[in-house]
Amino acid sequence: MKRAHGFYSVPYVLWLALFVIAPLVLIVYQSFFNISGQFTFDNYKLYLSSGTYLRMTLNSVWYALLITALTLLISYPTAYWLSQTKHKQLWLLLIILPTWINLLLKAYAFIGIFSQGGSVNRFLQFFGFGAHQLLFTNTSFILVAAYIEIPFMILPIFNAIDELKPSLLNASKDLGATNWQTFSKVVFPLTLDGVKAGVQAVFIPSLSLFMLTRLIGGNKVITLGTAIEEHFLVTQNWGMGSTIGVVLIIAMIAIMFLTGERKKRGR
Amino acid sequence: MKRFRWQNIYLALVFLVLYIPIFYLIFYSFSQGHNMNHFSGFTWAHYQELFQDQRMIEIVLDTLLVALLSSLLATIIGLLGALVIHRVKKPMWKNTLLSLNNILMVSPDVIIGASFLIFFTFLGFKLGFGSVLLSHIAFSIPIVVLMVLPKLNEMNTSLVDAARDLGATQPQVFSRVVLPYIAPGIFAGFFMAFTYSLDDFAVTFFVTGNGFETLAVEIYARARQGISLEINALSALMFLFSLVLVAGYYVLNQYNSSKKGRKRRMEANHNR
Amino acid sequence: MAEPIITFQHVYKRYDDTVALGDIDFELEQGKFYTLLGPSGCGKTTILRILAGFTEASEGKVTFKGQQINRVPANQRQINTVFQDYALFPHLNVFDNVAFGLTLKRTPKKDIKRRVLEALKSVRLAGYEDREISELSGGQQQRVAIARAIVNEPQVLLLDEPLSALDAKLRTAMQVELRQLQRRLGITFLFVTHDQGEALAMSDEIFVMSDGKILQQGSPVDIYDEPINHFVADFIGESNIVKGRMVADYQVQFVGKQFECSDAGIPAHEPIEVVLRPEDLVLTDVAKGKLTVVVDTQVFRGNLYEILSHDADGNQWLIHAVHKAKVGQEVGIYFEPEDIHVMRFGESEEEFDARLEQYEGDD
Repeated sequence: MKRAHGFYSVPYVLWLALFVIAPLVLIVYQSFFNISGQFTFDNYKLYLSSGTYLRMTLNSVWYALLITALTLLISYPTAYWLSQTKHKQLWLLLIILPTWINLLLKAYAFIGIFSQGGSVNRFLQFFGFGAHQLLFTNTSFILVAAYIEIPFMILPIFNAIDELKPSLLNASKDLGATNWQTFSKVVFPLTLDGVKAGVQAVFIPSLSLFMLTRLIGGNKVITLGTAIEEHFLVTQNWGMGSTIGVVLIIAMIAIMFLTGERKKRGR
Repeated sequence: MKRFRWQNIYLALVFLVLYIPIFYLIFYSFSQGHNMNHFSGFTWAHYQELFQDQRMIEIVLDTLLVALLSSLLATIIGLLGALVIHRVKKPMWKNTLLSLNNILMVSPDVIIGASFLIFFTFLGFKLGFGSVLLSHIAFSIPIVVLMVLPKLNEMNTSLVDAARDLGATQPQVFSRVVLPYIAPGIFAGFFMAFTYSLDDFAVTFFVTGNGFETLAVEIYARARQGISLEINALSALMFLFSLVLVAGYYVLNQYNSSKKGRKRRMEANHNR
Repeated sequence: MAEPIITFQHVYKRYDDTVALGDIDFELEQGKFYTLLGPSGCGKTTILRILAGFTEASEGKVTFKGQQINRVPANQRQINTVFQDYALFPHLNVFDNVAFGLTLKRTPKKDIKRRVLEALKSVRLAGYEDREISELSGGQQQRVAIARAIVNEPQVLLLDEPLSALDAKLRTAMQVELRQLQRRLGITFLFVTHDQGEALAMSDEIFVMSDGKILQQGSPVDIYDEPINHFVADFIGESNIVKGRMVADYQVQFVGKQFECSDAGIPAHEPIEVVLRPEDLVLTDVAKGKLTVVVDTQVFRGNLYEILSHDADGNQWLIHAVHKAKVGQEVGIYFEPEDIHVMRFGESEEEFDARLEQYEGDD
């Protein structure tokens, strides 16, 4: 029995060692090497002393915050009202369905929608606002990112609301609370965990969505993810890329610490 | 009653926003023009173009192959992993294993991609089909574990005892009791792994090198060059494919939940 | 006496730092109905699990028909279990659940069918073979669990609180049915329960357990009438227990008075405890009573009046009376000398048995 135990655990343990632990160790290791392969602390020194990198990081965090806030603002009422509909599981499935469409295709759709002659501009022109440069702006980046992340925010909040026992709401009303009081004093506090899970599920990817900054943001916004991609695949400065990677990992840990355990990003 | 209507308008708007881009893409896939600005007459031309695009068809097949192989292997390894974690009894070890398991679930794609790229380069592993397949297996394993583990935990230990009591050997206990019991979890895990693989862009982008491409990487490359309605045609087909997949998964879920419903009824009887 | 089918010899079971079983020693004979009775956590289920082979004894010897079986795995023992939660396989229907063990043994299909149907018939579930487990009521699931165990023709059947999930009426019916089934099959049943009524109703022999030890073993009547200590007396049925002192053989003193009793072999002046069962106390006039008490509360229970009263010393007396009394009224209590049961502090079962033999031999 003991022997069989050892035998069947080999593939999984091998995976843990090779694809979880080793890559993490390697990215930290790599961050101490410069572009010509010499051991150095320069990457960190440069990161901390150069305004460019710090500004980029702050920018990235700021945009991630904006995206998360916008997503939350749209998602909470949606999840709340969704939970009150008939056939709510079916509606929820329809909310999740778009996440099965490849991210790239959705981004691609917005290239068309936001383009100079695209629908939004024609819509604006129709109302006499005139055509605007929509694509390759910060706003378009935030909007598209929020569009992509909305289902990932709705899902955990919906689940939290759905788990609420109806008797709690009845109890609250029975004790004299108005609808709004019931919401603010009972429903919202009890669904806060869902909100936290949603924030985690949205904030971290928002720091690292590099394809969107390229396709929609027109490289105006540089996120941590874009910077890493740039250093690894364009300038080939893996050391600096890894350093930014380590920063991103630290940011991720900080977010998880702030919002409690991250639930899995369910679909 | 009036408030209720406002809520529905809001929900309808959200649904509209979620689906407009998708239908926008599909709509223009039938347009005779060359951009997504004006619909200029119905045509199947972009679909014909797509089906004659030897390179695109090859990439689609490669993508499906990677998805199928990686999800199968990830399911096997993830199943073994769930069994390992389930077997561990000390809470500290169990939590450590679970945290390690979840690292790839919570890591941003760029980090996974970059660190795998370093890893493969470090080993001198040639980038291409092999590295993409290995990466997809790697990032799909934890979701399989997370799908199977609750089923294992939910299974009453007395079922295993009962099987042994009735004369089942260890392999028989596994094949006749445990496996049928956790099968829905395994299917769900496989399905999730499959969609993860189809969906992935960032990790593949990092570890694919020059010789091998998946659909997402190809779309990215073409989208950067501007609009081509052939991609619209492709996205329409992929949307259909997703619908079929989701329908399949929904059926599987229904099957699961009806099973759960039965279990609940059983518990209710039990408590009566 | 026939050779015992199962023996436990000085069996201990320890988990990291706790002792679940301490020096368990007993024998089971072929074809009898045994019950392990005790509060939850007393170790009765651990004995069952050791016997079934789900866990191993830390120390001591377990034998089956004279052969040591400590290390024989569960799937090779001629012992089957009915689980507390039934542990029916949810993915198999009734027939396949019952056939599970036979299928593993590669029994020919024809035999499997015959034996499964027979087993279902013996638990009065003929015609249910195609049902899903989820379609059955708790009582029916219970019977499937029994059929699944007995179809393998085990020498010993272990039952782990199998009736605890049933409602009171069904439970009583199942008690009778189980007892009949055991007589018909003629195999040994080892039944685990925390319900003393269940134990008294079904068993040939009862083992009363507490804190990982067997306190007393005996027939239901023995255990009820001659509890060895305070714990057993209290656990088996309701009882009035008061402190007293032995005066001489057949003479005991409690609540300040001296009474004739049927116990002997205890040194004079030794402090003891006295048990009087509430149903042995008869309400009478103060003049005719051996004790005088004042009625505090009275509850009608259908078949009797449950009367709580107190004597002049403040001792509480529980009386099960056929006729009612008046609250606040002073009444007399009468009882026979053999209704008094004397218990010594710290007397072991062996000492108790030895003393009983000694003075009963005197008669």
